[in-house]
Amino acid sequence: MQSDTRIDVHEDRGFYRGTFIAMANPCEVLCQTTDAEAALSLTETAAHEAWRIERKFSRYRDDSVVHAINTSDGAPIEVDVETSRLIDYATTLHDLTEGAFDITSGILRRAWRFDIADRKPTEDDIASLLGRVGWRHVAWRKPILTMPAGMELDFGGIGKEYAVDRAVGLVAGGATLAALINFGGDLRTVGPAPASGAWQVGIESVNASGQAGNLIKLRTGALATSGDTKRFIEVDGKRYGHIIDARTGWPASDAPRSITVAADTCLQAGTFSTLAMLQGARAEEFLREEGVRYWCLR
Amino acid sequence: MQLMPKGSLSAAIATATCGLLGSLPTTAVAAAEVAPTLAKPWVVDSALLYYGESDDRVKDLSLKSIIRRMFDEDRSLSVNFSVDSLTGASPTGAVPTDSVQTFTRPSGTGTYQTAAGALPLDDTFKDTRYALSGNWLQSIGEVSRIDIGVSASTEYDYLHVGANARYERDFNQRNTTAFAGVAFGSESIDPEGGTPVPFAPMQAQGNSASKQGSDSKTVIDGLIGVTQILSRRALVSLTYSYSVQDGYLNDPFKVVSVIDPVTGRPVAGPAPGLGRHLYENRPDSRAKHSVFTEWRYAFDRDSVALSYRLMTDDWGVTSNTLEGQYHWNVSARRYIEPRVRFYQQSAADFYRSYLVNGQPLPEFASADYRLAEMSAITAGFKYGQRTQHGEFSVRLEYYKQTTKTDDPKIGVLASYDLAPPLTAVVAQIGYKFSF
Repeated sequence: MQSDTRIDVHEDRGFYRGTFIAMANPCEVLCQTTDAEAALSLTETAAHEAWRIERKFSRYRDDSVVHAINTSDGAPIEVDVETSRLIDYATTLHDLTEGAFDITSGILRRAWRFDIADRKPTEDDIASLLGRVGWRHVAWRKPILTMPAGMELDFGGIGKEYAVDRAVGLVAGGATLAALINFGGDLRTVGPAPASGAWQVGIESVNASGQAGNLIKLRTGALATSGDTKRFIEVDGKRYGHIIDARTGWPASDAPRSITVAADTCLQAGTFSTLAMLQGARAEEFLREEGVRYWCLR
Repeated sequence: MQLMPKGSLSAAIATATCGLLGSLPTTAVAAAEVAPTLAKPWVVDSALLYYGESDDRVKDLSLKSIIRRMFDEDRSLSVNFSVDSLTGASPTGAVPTDSVQTFTRPSGTGTYQTAAGALPLDDTFKDTRYALSGNWLQSIGEVSRIDIGVSASTEYDYLHVGANARYERDFNQRNTTAFAGVAFGSESIDPEGGTPVPFAPMQAQGNSASKQGSDSKTVIDGLIGVTQILSRRALVSLTYSYSVQDGYLNDPFKVVSVIDPVTGRPVAGPAPGLGRHLYENRPDSRAKHSVFTEWRYAFDRDSVALSYRLMTDDWGVTSNTLEGQYHWNVSARRYIEPRVRFYQQSAADFYRSYLVNGQPLPEFASADYRLAEMSAITAGFKYGQRTQHGEFSVRLEYYKQTTKTDDPKIGVLASYDLAPPLTAVVAQIGYKFSF
């Protein structure tokens, strides 16, 4: 069942802003142009690519690739080129983080029910689920994937950033105008910088929701944010974020409340912000060592 | 992530991204161009202040505001403006006596009377003062900063314009900062009725024989100093400053009474019913040297600051100021800052409570209690509370000053206090916010 497929385009102070919903996020495409047709065309391209990726990799749709894998019940399954590349990428991240990042860790969300406020999972909750987590249990011989029954794949950690980069790739060829593609806070520029010199992006403050904390001026490139301003549990004064270390089943301790990273591509930005969250107290140090441009809110 | 050498994840991720997206990112990671900026570049800090002296003396209600706009990490513009409304009265320097006294207002257009035994006070300077200044602060390179500014203020009979500049440079991994500054000011005074001729007698109403036109003065200040971080918790600073003023330094509203050497009453003046009160006469230059040191220490939660200033000038005034303040962080959002200050000064060489009839006139004389030997204590506290958008604060202080005069209490003066103690209260409400 396809969710809202409306695309709205309206003029806003010298820009055209196209908005739509995708992957359960508000999405927008900003173009510096006076050509409404061009703006609509750009927005449609981005929206259709976002919906395509959502349909293909959604956990919830029974016609998605992920659903097919998750119901394969231990049988080998052949995946297409795009899915292969995503799985290769996830494998690299799994190896680089020594297993902390793992696309089979999605089922841990059942213990961390972020919609039930302030309920911390017990060790037993976690332990029982951890038995069904671990990329090492999966046999990946491209293009054949064999995953034990009871395990699940979830591309949520990289899906949105991937969608932004794909949309930019589709749009960039024909675009000479300055545009910004933003899927729920993960964004990337297209073409040259806008006439004012830079796009102004506000990162939500961790304290008052809706209030911009940092204001970043982005000339070109991508930004991605990992953070717990909306999805978190607070128990006994401790906030538990939602980036869970797949090895332990728990979020890293003392992670920043929000990390925004700037990089060339949205995937790189998102990867670094996720990896930094997994570093917990060492997040900023890690980002500095890697020479990454970041903003942390603690 | 311990397997890979530090800094090499970027390359691995760049390669992986290339494989996934099918095109080569231009560099390993952060080639995104980000322009530096600030979340909340404006800061507005305003306060409403009430200052009230005891016994119908000076009261001041003022509103001041500092608006600061930061352009980036290194540059900012500040604009200060303030409005002060002064009312009440200030001692003229004339002596009290055992009968009603009549004085001519400085404007020459009226008179006022002082009751027997009361200290003569004049409320002529009831006035509103406006002040405006602007400062531009910016970095020069990595370790230096410069601050330049202009200022102006005006009351109906007074105008000040000035310019200032300050330079700072850091050394020792920014543990030491040296600074130097200079300021110029030019002031002109044009009181209603004219500036008085020094040592001329107060004339009757309508008689301007003792008055002349407007006058002016210039002020040059210079300072140099150093701030040193002693440890993670402490810093100390030391500053030397020099100030020289030149021109009309008299207070046009102050007089010195000429008294009879036996009775202690003011002798007759140039008109019936008017005593002999001479307009004061101060030197036309004043040079001050001042040394200031401050020590600040941060505890785990709170912090303390102690400072001392020694000032000496060529008018014979030497003063000491010792101040301490404790910043108590009651909670993450609230603080209380108690503060106490001790001040002591010696009298100016030419300070006199009165002049004696028949004795030769000294070169200079002033009965302005602010040039007398005095000591003062200020005690109070400030309470601050952070709100969603800024900070709200309240300050309350009590000031008590005692003045001592060496001049013998001749005749009727034995019954009076020529320089009674002064108490004052300061109450201030402030609000600071950023956007």
